[in-house]
Amino acid sequence: MRIAIAGKGGSGKTTLAATLARVMARDGKRVLAIDGDPNPNLGVALGLSSDALRDAPRVPRDCVIDVYDDRGHQYMQLKVPFADLRARYGIAAPDGVELMLVDGVEHAGAG
Amino acid sequence: MRGLASALLGVENEVTLLDMEASIEHLSRSTPQGAETLLVVVEPYYRALETAGRIAPLGRELGIPRILAIANKIRDEEDARVIREYCAAHHIELAAEIPYDESVRDADRRGRAVIDHAPESRSVKAMRGLAAQLA
Repeated sequence: MRIAIAGKGGSGKTTLAATLARVMARDGKRVLAIDGDPNPNLGVALGLSSDALRDAPRVPRDCVIDVYDDRGHQYMQLKVPFADLRARYGIAAPDGVELMLVDGVEHAGAG
Repeated sequence: MRGLASALLGVENEVTLLDMEASIEHLSRSTPQGAETLLVVVEPYYRALETAGRIAPLGRELGIPRILAIANKIRDEEDARVIREYCAAHHIELAAEIPYDESVRDADRRGRAVIDHAPESRSVKAMRGLAAQLA
């Protein structure tokens, strides 16, 4: 199940994403939470300390390439196999949730 | 496979939750085509409603099959009514109404997860209900 969560800044989307992640993990699902916000706070909302997050690895921009579909929509695609990425950038969060911080979305296409 | 999170998809029997960028112009950019569900979090005031009203059609255009509005920070019946009416007028399914809850702000101030800080709070209960609904 893949769930994307959107909304205006300050709407509470990060709190919702984090709480759904924790609840679903407690229900026995394997949960991967991806922070795609350039102002990242999903980790803290999941219950990680800011110390734990300070030096946490972020999936770098150069792991991602831009692709366009036939309607001109721009998408990102990984250059690296997912399993490798996960092993390298996955961060353990409470209740067994796995967190991944994705960098560079904001400035994508700029360089 | 297309899209960042569809590339980040991993195994079938797991849940991937993507906390997306706030700004609407990045939606197509950072949204997985492989997402089955788009939750659009909306608060009961005009600009938040307007943002949701722009996100939902974009999600449809991207081919996301299930687009659900989540009303958040609902203080009273009037808040709920405003969002229900907006969603009905814009053909967006409203999946949950999460009450305004001081414990969310309180948890945030302390840098804690609300589910740890106030596990029995009304907002956590509402979000648990939503999780059950999505599963």
